[in-house]
Amino acid sequence: MKVYAGIDIGSTSIKIVLIDESENIVAHSTNPTGASFHKNSMDAFQSLLERENIQKADILYLASTGYGRKLLKEADETISEITANAVGAKKSAEKIGTVKTVINIGGQDLKGISLDEEGNCGNFVMNDKCAAGTGRFLEMTARTLETSVDKLGELHFNLKGVPASINSTCTVFAESEIISLLANGHSHEGIVVGVHYSIAKRIARLIKRIGVEDIIFFDGGPAMNKGLVEAVENELMRELYIPDVPQITTAFGAALIARSVYHEEEVHA
Amino acid sequence: MEKERIEKVKKHIRTEAALEAGQVLKKITDNFPDNPEGMKYFYDLLSRQFSEEILPKNGKKLIGTMCVQVPDELILAAGAKPVRVCSGSFPYDNAGAEFMPAKTCSMIKAIMGLFQVEDFREKFDMLVIPTTCDQKKKTTEILKDMGYEAYSLAMPSRKDDDNSRYYWQNSVKEFAADLMKKTGNKITKESLKKAFDLKNEARYEFRRLFKLRMKNPAVIYGKDAFLIANAYFTDDIESWTAALKKLNDELEKKVEEGFSVANAKVPRFLFTGSPPIFPNMKIPLLVEEAGGLIAIDEVCSSSRLLYDMPSYDEQGLYDMIPAIADCYLKPCTCPCFVPNEERKDKISNLIDMFNIDGVIYQAFSGCQLYEMEQKLIGNFLMKKGVPMLYIESDYSPEDTGQLSTRVEAFIESIKMKKKSSAAKKEENKKDKK
Repeated sequence: MKVYAGIDIGSTSIKIVLIDESENIVAHSTNPTGASFHKNSMDAFQSLLERENIQKADILYLASTGYGRKLLKEADETISEITANAVGAKKSAEKIGTVKTVINIGGQDLKGISLDEEGNCGNFVMNDKCAAGTGRFLEMTARTLETSVDKLGELHFNLKGVPASINSTCTVFAESEIISLLANGHSHEGIVVGVHYSIAKRIARLIKRIGVEDIIFFDGGPAMNKGLVEAVENELMRELYIPDVPQITTAFGAALIARSVYHEEEVHA
Repeated sequence: MEKERIEKVKKHIRTEAALEAGQVLKKITDNFPDNPEGMKYFYDLLSRQFSEEILPKNGKKLIGTMCVQVPDELILAAGAKPVRVCSGSFPYDNAGAEFMPAKTCSMIKAIMGLFQVEDFREKFDMLVIPTTCDQKKKTTEILKDMGYEAYSLAMPSRKDDDNSRYYWQNSVKEFAADLMKKTGNKITKESLKKAFDLKNEARYEFRRLFKLRMKNPAVIYGKDAFLIANAYFTDDIESWTAALKKLNDELEKKVEEGFSVANAKVPRFLFTGSPPIFPNMKIPLLVEEAGGLIAIDEVCSSSRLLYDMPSYDEQGLYDMIPAIADCYLKPCTCPCFVPNEERKDKISNLIDMFNIDGVIYQAFSGCQLYEMEQKLIGNFLMKKGVPMLYIESDYSPEDTGQLSTRVEAFIESIKMKKKSSAAKKEENKKDKK
């Protein structure tokens, strides 16, 4: 089977999506990025191909995106993660309607994208160099509370009593704030809820700059955290649409772009 | 011992500054094919500035200027050489950060770092700083405290009423008188006429380049245009004009031959906001390396520099000096003016003249005026239907990764829009048939 590949080399993990001619997802994988961007990307790609029993020759076109997109010399096309995310989100939510706003939380970015009538990326906002309110922030919280990131959602819903309020959005300052909250006897659950709301507030502030319109699509790894989703929904006072596998939307978008570029080139050739 | 240590630190900063300049210049020349022959003069000049003696020596008295608003005709007429000292160097920005408040803009920190590291007290007879933004205003006093001959050139914050106009004209007159005292040379109507002519020749060539940049497909990159204007800061005006004339001749010939640096489909941008000053070419390079073209700019380090011409009726100082003053006040679109509606008009005109697809707006972190005016320009452009990318940044290279994502996404979104509007046109054509 001939496939198109999208590979999203993020700051935390490498996401790969393979699609067929009818734009269906054939296979996908998520692996940690580590320190060797290129090697780990190629290894991840190779093992996905082996798992799915797909030959390299069957890859018609490969598009790379994400923070490490330019390192992958094997890619036929590189595309920024903002465009790829918009394209992926539009297609993923096709069955429920037209996506107008995309919120993405990555390992070190926070993005808001508004889509125009045709589903093109109209306007977007992104955090500056500071990693406040991103995946890193959640990792730091989990580490300080001696738990793992995937347990945060559960802790969120176990809260009895009032949440702690986290005032710092800076990852470094928030860590010391959490430690002092712990020292004052606050519960882990209360702190987790506080952290989720602090991120949610930051997202709300950021995306209000581009305007918020339904349908709102929320993706990136942290969208798997149901506690965070609840906090963001409450802050925005709107419902969010979360795809089944939220971390692969951008890689899916890259694969879709790979397919359309391939066909465009065919026309010109 | 202490003296030796200080010398060592200074030497280290100088080396770092030269390294940075070398790296940026290498990017500018090596990452782009077909750089015009005539650009070599400007590349060399800028590289010399950091690797050799920073200030040109030609026996003339040096007057440092810290803003595009200082009328350098007067300095030329007083037989001195104007040198614009606005700096784009990150190592000097770091040096300035040691004693300036954290929220100061990079450019001010770099200037102050430069004047702290390099002892220029003997070199400059005067440093002229107009009272534009608060940071520049206060800088004058700090420089005085450091032992420099710093001159505060009083500017009004409005330009649309007679009071402001006369206030500024008087201020320029006083400046002319002080210049004469300082240099010991008289400004006469003859010497001023000569300075006018020199500057008008420079303006003429600058406008020729301006017209050449309107061509689509483009014949010169924006990064080169920024460098040409940057070279004017320190170069001798006559050699600069001659070098630009040569480059313009070359470009005109290239246009005739059908040469271009980018095809007509490449998205064309207008660059506005805080000034890119070599070696801080961070954002312009990100844009042009990602496949965009900066067709024109609206910044004080480039297109605002030499475009407007003074006009006087009678050749006499009583008419010529107010004419200079007017030329520097009225057309200025710095956000330190309230109101600043002209900036919108200017940007809007440039968008139409230069076939612009999008606007890149840079504000240095800490430059409150550009940061605040961003909203107004953004709203105006939204109504005009031109997309704008707002970037807040400084001289440090640490945010390049994230910025490149934003810049590339902006370029991609414009390409997609262009594609779908082209497709629509095609469909309309078919329908008509």
